[in-house]
Amino acid sequence: MGHRNNSPILEIKNVTKMFGSLAALNNVSLSVERGKLVTFVGPSGCGKTTLLRAVSGFCELDEGRIILEGQDITLFSPNARDTAMVFQNYALFPHMKVAQNIAFGLETMKKPKKEIDEEVKRLLVLVQLEGLGERKPHELSGGQQQRVALARALSLNPKILLLDEPLSNLDANLRISMREEIRKLQHRLSLTIIFVTHDQEEAMSISDLLVVMDQGVVKQMGSPTEVYEAPIDEFVSNFIGHINFLPGEVVSLSGDEMTFQIAQRNLKLKAPPIPVSEGDRLKLVVRPESISIVDRKTELTRTENVLEGSVQGAMYIGSIIRYTVNSGGQIIYVDESDPQYKGIFPEGSQIKLILKNKIHAIPA
Amino acid sequence: MIKTQFYRRFYQNLSNDTRHFLRSPGLVVTTSVAFVLLLFFIVLPVWSVLNKSLTVSFPTVTVSFPKTTPNRTNSGEMLTEAILDAIKTVEGIEEIRVIAEIRHRFIVARFNKNWDEYRAIYDTRRTVKKTIKELNLFVEDIEIKLGKERYRSFATFAEFFSKARHYRALCNSIIVGLITTVLICIIAFIFAYLTVRGPHLMRKPLKALAILPRIAPPFIFSLSLILILGRNGIITKTFNLAINIYGWPGVIIAQVIAFLPLGYLMIENVLRSLDPSLDDTARDMGATEQRVLFKITLPLVSNGIFKAALLVFILSIADFANPMLIGGDVPFLATSAFLLWIGEGNLEMSAVLCVFLLAPSLIAFSIHEYAMKGKTYITLGGKPTQAEYRKISPRIFYTIMPVAVFVSISIVVCFCVIFAGAFTKILMVDNTFTLEHFTSVNGIRSLANSLRFSLGATLIATPIGIILSYMLMRKRIPLKKVLEFVALIGFGVPGTVIGLGYILFFNSPPLKLTGTFAIMMINEAFRNLSVGLEAGISKLQQIDVAIEEAAMDMGARAPRIFIKVIFPLIISAVAVGFVYTFMVAMIAVSAVIFLVTPGKNLISLYILAVTEIGEIGMACGLSVMLIFTVVLCLGALSFMLRYSRFTMTLRGV
Repeated sequence: MGHRNNSPILEIKNVTKMFGSLAALNNVSLSVERGKLVTFVGPSGCGKTTLLRAVSGFCELDEGRIILEGQDITLFSPNARDTAMVFQNYALFPHMKVAQNIAFGLETMKKPKKEIDEEVKRLLVLVQLEGLGERKPHELSGGQQQRVALARALSLNPKILLLDEPLSNLDANLRISMREEIRKLQHRLSLTIIFVTHDQEEAMSISDLLVVMDQGVVKQMGSPTEVYEAPIDEFVSNFIGHINFLPGEVVSLSGDEMTFQIAQRNLKLKAPPIPVSEGDRLKLVVRPESISIVDRKTELTRTENVLEGSVQGAMYIGSIIRYTVNSGGQIIYVDESDPQYKGIFPEGSQIKLILKNKIHAIPA
Repeated sequence: MIKTQFYRRFYQNLSNDTRHFLRSPGLVVTTSVAFVLLLFFIVLPVWSVLNKSLTVSFPTVTVSFPKTTPNRTNSGEMLTEAILDAIKTVEGIEEIRVIAEIRHRFIVARFNKNWDEYRAIYDTRRTVKKTIKELNLFVEDIEIKLGKERYRSFATFAEFFSKARHYRALCNSIIVGLITTVLICIIAFIFAYLTVRGPHLMRKPLKALAILPRIAPPFIFSLSLILILGRNGIITKTFNLAINIYGWPGVIIAQVIAFLPLGYLMIENVLRSLDPSLDDTARDMGATEQRVLFKITLPLVSNGIFKAALLVFILSIADFANPMLIGGDVPFLATSAFLLWIGEGNLEMSAVLCVFLLAPSLIAFSIHEYAMKGKTYITLGGKPTQAEYRKISPRIFYTIMPVAVFVSISIVVCFCVIFAGAFTKILMVDNTFTLEHFTSVNGIRSLANSLRFSLGATLIATPIGIILSYMLMRKRIPLKKVLEFVALIGFGVPGTVIGLGYILFFNSPPLKLTGTFAIMMINEAFRNLSVGLEAGISKLQQIDVAIEEAAMDMGARAPRIFIKVIFPLIISAVAVGFVYTFMVAMIAVSAVIFLVTPGKNLISLYILAVTEIGEIGMACGLSVMLIFTVVLCLGALSFMLRYSRFTMTLRGV
């Protein structure tokens, strides 16, 4: 048993799916660890839902295998797979009561009536819907319908729970509380969950593992921090959070210090976590919130990681202020928190920018 | 290059579909059953009509005898010569052939195409016997048999064009169809325009009048016209006019009234979905009301009108009962095809007429189903406005209102006359009140037959239609389009064609089914598969596929999903399909008239029969009973539609 628990519960191996001449999934491979919440995230049409449907069995693959707990289920039909799906619009059976909806799968398994009733009651308590079993789905609110769908999916004790954009039909506040609840439920029941969303913030906040997809391929896989701090390319950087790209050239390299030339200005930096050599053209990836802005006259103790520029515009958002800064022709966005306290630089102010954190770079 | 790519993709899809399809045995069985049923009850009958139209058959008589006779050796040649000489004198022979085998001789005499076969064999037998007697031969084994020789040939088509009676039927049907269609489009648009944009007080009454003809079987309007404008009609007699309503005018008027509701409902639907702000914008930009009508409104609804026109045209040329009742001596395709079969037994010519009936109808049907699919304008963008239409300008209003009033009065009068005829002894001759037209034993018996017939047809058609709709909407089936086309074609194939097809196809063992009540029901059921099918399709379109996927994800298999999830959700479509098919079967005429068995007469056919023999009062009485049945059905339908909040557009009766 021990060895089984260490091996990944789900393996997706070299999966390809064509829609006509368009590859919805192009040689995708990944594995999901037991008890983790994995999120497939990407813009619409990136293949994330197709991949989820491939796991649940609704999408027939052209190539590749899907292995659940060591068993090849590629050719299994959805009703023979030990997975359960929560659909985007919940897909509750509109003509059945809530309890009947939840009992549907158990009835299919031909369990005794008494056992089914108890199980339904237990699930209703689990999703905090005690006493609503006799309602019809259309008599419930969106959030309650969502819970019914969750309970129905959990009724079968699936090896993996598949959630297809489950929160997209809820309003903003409910969405945040529901995602916390899903996370709690996952920890409590040690569920393995695959979660599909196009909302990067939702993905960041809920996942153990983030799978960023684009045009049918997996762009990057990693924990939310890894993906946020060290995006592998421009697409991932852009997709996850707001970003500045500063193109330039490596002038010299010594140890983990490097001199990088941006807009005819030399900048001393720590070498990025990718292999570089002198003369390479790179793009620095700098989050707007990792830049400080100070008056040009301010004396700084350090000289590395400092750029000069002038303020071109400022957008007041409340919790932050977003400056548009021109530094030698290069436009840089800077987010300053708590602008009420720090004061606002007017347009045309001559300022210095300090790149606060360690700096990530990608090939240009 | 593009073509090969297209074929490659086509085969790839086909093979993918097939692979997927073969994986579920239940689906394979269901689909095969569906294919076989459609093949036998739609495709092959229609095919036999086409086949028959290209066949010419000649009666033949074959005389066979042994080469040597017992009493004289080597007499074969002599005998052959003698019989040949004798047969040449028989009337009606076109060609004689001799086939020599080792022991036998065969003499085959082919007669004229239309020669009576019993006369042919009688004459031949007599002549041959006489010859043998004269030769004083004793031939024991001589056999004389009747046969038929069939050739593929366009001869019947050539004959069609050489006989005025036949090709005039084609011209009449097409021209009357076109005139009816144009008139209906104009009148239906006027009614639709007035009910959508006219004065509020007029809207509901006008709408009711426009769809009123729907409660009656289409042929009662011929009956009304005969009562009003016929030789002893109310107007003809009162004003002593010399009007001849029989022929074109009668058929056109009757059809215009009968098929107006279909055209009206379709055009009204399109007109209602137009955004009034488009008109307001045009008006705002300085266009006159007439300019708005002709430059904005009409172009926007033109595709909708064209689609309605195609359906009306199909109904008009397929119409059997109106030309039968009020066509007079003017030939029409549907009726001529029937009369050629029942009167002369000329199946070949009847089949040729059916081909000319089928072709335009199928073309119109295909344009409607495929070329025009989704080609109705809908307003793009923005939220639907709650704006109310401006009032119609007086000039337009006073131009179109008289038309609407005239047509409305005509419709009401038609109904009144039928009711008057039903409750008087003989209208205009003996106007005493009577109920005798409701008590005829034959009438009541035919009504009972009709009810049984309709129930049977409905019980066959609805389940098949619903199951087909599910398969077409939700399952991956190779060559699905073909299945769909064949299932829907019942509407596009005129009843006369499918009626004749059944006569041809089910007339010989092992499928000898003609003359049974069952084949009438089967025929009606398969002609109306499209009702249940379309009801099912439009309901399934409103149901999210994810619901079935969820059920499947919960471990349920296809039969359980259908019974527990799909069926309860589409029950309203099943009910609508059921009642509608029943109603259509109650007023069916054109195909069942070929198949009806003595003693199992239907009320619709019985009304035709009693009208033909001048029992107009009886016809009115029976029509009132039929109207009553249809009204009951429609009431049930509208109740169900309202109750289930389910909408679909139903195609005409």
